[in-house]
Amino acid sequence: MSASSTLFKNVWRKPTLLAVTTGSLLASCSAFASDVPQYHVEVNDKKCQPMALTVPAGKVQFIIRNQSMRALEWEILDGVMVVAERENIIPGFQQKMTVTLEPGTYEMTCGLLTNPHGKLIVQSDGQNKPYKITSNDFIGPIAEYKFYVMNETRQLTQATQAFTDAIRANEMDKAKALYSQARVHYERIEPIAELFSDLDNRIDAREDAFAMGAKDPNFTGFHRLEYALWKANSLANTTALADQLDKDVMELQGRIRNLPFPPSTVVGGAAGLIEEVAASKLSGEEDRYAHTDLDDFNANVEGAQKIVYLFKPMMDKINPPLQNRIENNLKQVSDILAHYKTDKGFEPYTQLSEQDRKRLKGPITELAEDLAKLRGNLGLN
Amino acid sequence: MNCPFHSLLQSRQTQKNNQTEKTEQNHDSIVEERRNLLKGLGAFGGAVALGSAVSTQALAGSEGMMEGNMKADEGSVDAEFYTSRQMKQPFYGAYQSGILNPPPAAACLVSFDVIAYNKDDLKGLFKTLTERAAFLTQGGKPPSTGDKFPPLDSGIVGTYINPDNLTLTVALGASLFDERFGLADKKPKHLVNMTRFPNDALQAESCHGDLLIQFCANSPETVIHAMRDIIKHTPATLSVRWRRDGFISNHVAATAGKETPINLLGFKDGTVNPNTKDPKVADEVILVTPENQEPKWATGGSYLAVRTIRFFVEQWDRTPLQEQEAIFGRERGTGAPLGMKHEHDIPDYSKDPKGKIIPLDAHMRLANPRTPGFNQHQLLRRAYNYSDGVTNAGQLEMGLLFLAYQADLKAGFITVQERLNGEPLEEYIKPFGGGYFFALPGVKKPGDYFAQGLLES
Repeated sequence: MSASSTLFKNVWRKPTLLAVTTGSLLASCSAFASDVPQYHVEVNDKKCQPMALTVPAGKVQFIIRNQSMRALEWEILDGVMVVAERENIIPGFQQKMTVTLEPGTYEMTCGLLTNPHGKLIVQSDGQNKPYKITSNDFIGPIAEYKFYVMNETRQLTQATQAFTDAIRANEMDKAKALYSQARVHYERIEPIAELFSDLDNRIDAREDAFAMGAKDPNFTGFHRLEYALWKANSLANTTALADQLDKDVMELQGRIRNLPFPPSTVVGGAAGLIEEVAASKLSGEEDRYAHTDLDDFNANVEGAQKIVYLFKPMMDKINPPLQNRIENNLKQVSDILAHYKTDKGFEPYTQLSEQDRKRLKGPITELAEDLAKLRGNLGLN
Repeated sequence: MNCPFHSLLQSRQTQKNNQTEKTEQNHDSIVEERRNLLKGLGAFGGAVALGSAVSTQALAGSEGMMEGNMKADEGSVDAEFYTSRQMKQPFYGAYQSGILNPPPAAACLVSFDVIAYNKDDLKGLFKTLTERAAFLTQGGKPPSTGDKFPPLDSGIVGTYINPDNLTLTVALGASLFDERFGLADKKPKHLVNMTRFPNDALQAESCHGDLLIQFCANSPETVIHAMRDIIKHTPATLSVRWRRDGFISNHVAATAGKETPINLLGFKDGTVNPNTKDPKVADEVILVTPENQEPKWATGGSYLAVRTIRFFVEQWDRTPLQEQEAIFGRERGTGAPLGMKHEHDIPDYSKDPKGKIIPLDAHMRLANPRTPGFNQHQLLRRAYNYSDGVTNAGQLEMGLLFLAYQADLKAGFITVQERLNGEPLEEYIKPFGGGYFFALPGVKKPGDYFAQGLLES
């Protein structure tokens, strides 16, 4: 099973309904614009009047009159989920409720819970009603992304420890096998990890960053150990490097725990991951001694996919053509990479055919262009 | 007499007196007289009254001069004038041309290893450089050696070499002051090998050098012609270490400093440069004066920080405009500080202490917080764009040749760069080469040579 399909499953969510009751939450909209259609509902002791109502998608206003004997709580339900509600309507009085509804079939409560529910059909009118983003829309995706990042970071510390244990035990083959398994967790969350440039420099810098190249005393972290394993072919004097790497990923974990996750950083991260691929993974520069670039490549793409699918419910409403193109390109990239999948990861970069390298370039470049527009589409800075 | 310019001041005074005596003569002959004065002495016309220690060239020299059409003291230059082939910058003077004069359109930086064996050879090298630069910058006809021999001149600018606003600015790296030539105790006090800043990826083959020449001219052919001339004339003493060609817009160059060049990220680069036309400013922040307490020979020189910086332009072009502008702190189109109207408007950060208009980590704000006393950290930026091939990943290889002149390297570039460490712009740029150099004082008069003060002191 390809890693990407797992991811698709994990992140796929039924689009959450957007419902905002009138009042303070809707500060950015003019809540009582005259063109909001109004619907009257009367609730008596037995049922709603009418029992079925068809309204257009978008913003509508319900005027609920309580003709029953007791105080009324009126709700719009999507299955068991309460989409909107009006509480404590006194008998003989009416209240208004403005709500933005997605197309679909809902139920309305009609007084006593034992009373039958009314049916509310929300029809798409064919026109694309402008969809208003509120900051609430980001809460779910951002929380889930933070959970994802923390989870990857925890796996990074564990996998790194396994890798460095092998280094310290001078088990070359084992260390080689564990190298990319640790790195993928870093690569998936690279836009977050790179926010700490001091740590990133120590954990993930390549020899190009240093004037004396691989021999530079400041060259540390994964790629320095990669150099020892594949190029120098010796683990002499690497214990301190291994210890330092452990310490650095632990520190990274601590810092990420306390990191706020602003939506623009998270959404921008999808573009950042693909920029990584475009700049250094396509060329095989990342893991130049181990040639495990395709593992990193795939991990970057997975990290971008995670973000793309978290915001898919919003993007599907805002800009479906863009969202579709992004998904298609992600799929194209995953499909090509899938040819190189092995039991433990991916074939060496040197096995990547020239033709596939060129075929990856198109979708990757278009993804970079498109993902750069995600923030703008989601109304983020 | 301590003042290194004593004799020159004297001669200037004499000239000036002569000139005063001639005020009764008709206007034409005074212009003629002044023109000769400028031609003969390069920089030393007319500026004595300002009492500036070094930069007396500033008035006459900053905009250069054109044979038979002296416009230097008109205060402004027109495009046709500044970009013409006959445009020339003075060669002789207290400081070198190529620093204070507005940058022309084309440039090349060449860093050399000096392979001379001893101090005498080194002296010979500087004499050759002096002789070639004096000729190339002022123009003339190259000698012919007949068709049995390789021609002495590459011929790429035709049979007559026009000055074309050419300058060759010679600067020394810290490594020239090692044990080879016995110059260790004469090293300018701040001159060191450039060390890595956190975002740097310095490549050994693109860094440092014993000697660097900045070639600038109105056209790339003139730059290349001069560079090939120098290389051809120094086979036994110089070996090219690295080089980069640079350019700014012809149209911007033609404004002779009025418009600010735009870099390849689309932003103006060099807006808050010190006013090079004010000799006092030049002495304070750009040129070494006795106040800087450098070795005596260094007066009139200037520290040159060179940084070759790759820009990730594809990624930059995919960055929302709002973010681009927040990164620099300026509007892209006008160059105005955010929240202001004009490029040269001065932001008042005290009214924006939290960075709501201009973010606290905006490039402009970090580089110059506009606090009282920050003037001592000013640099004269003289940056050029570069554009080469593509990277291994098929991305564009282009960026900036950042050049900054200052009287005090530590107070200047190093302080400012340390303030910039960690700035958001780092995501889009990668400094990979360059070095610290010390631009020599000028060659003061015919018969003198580059670094004479250093080698004979």
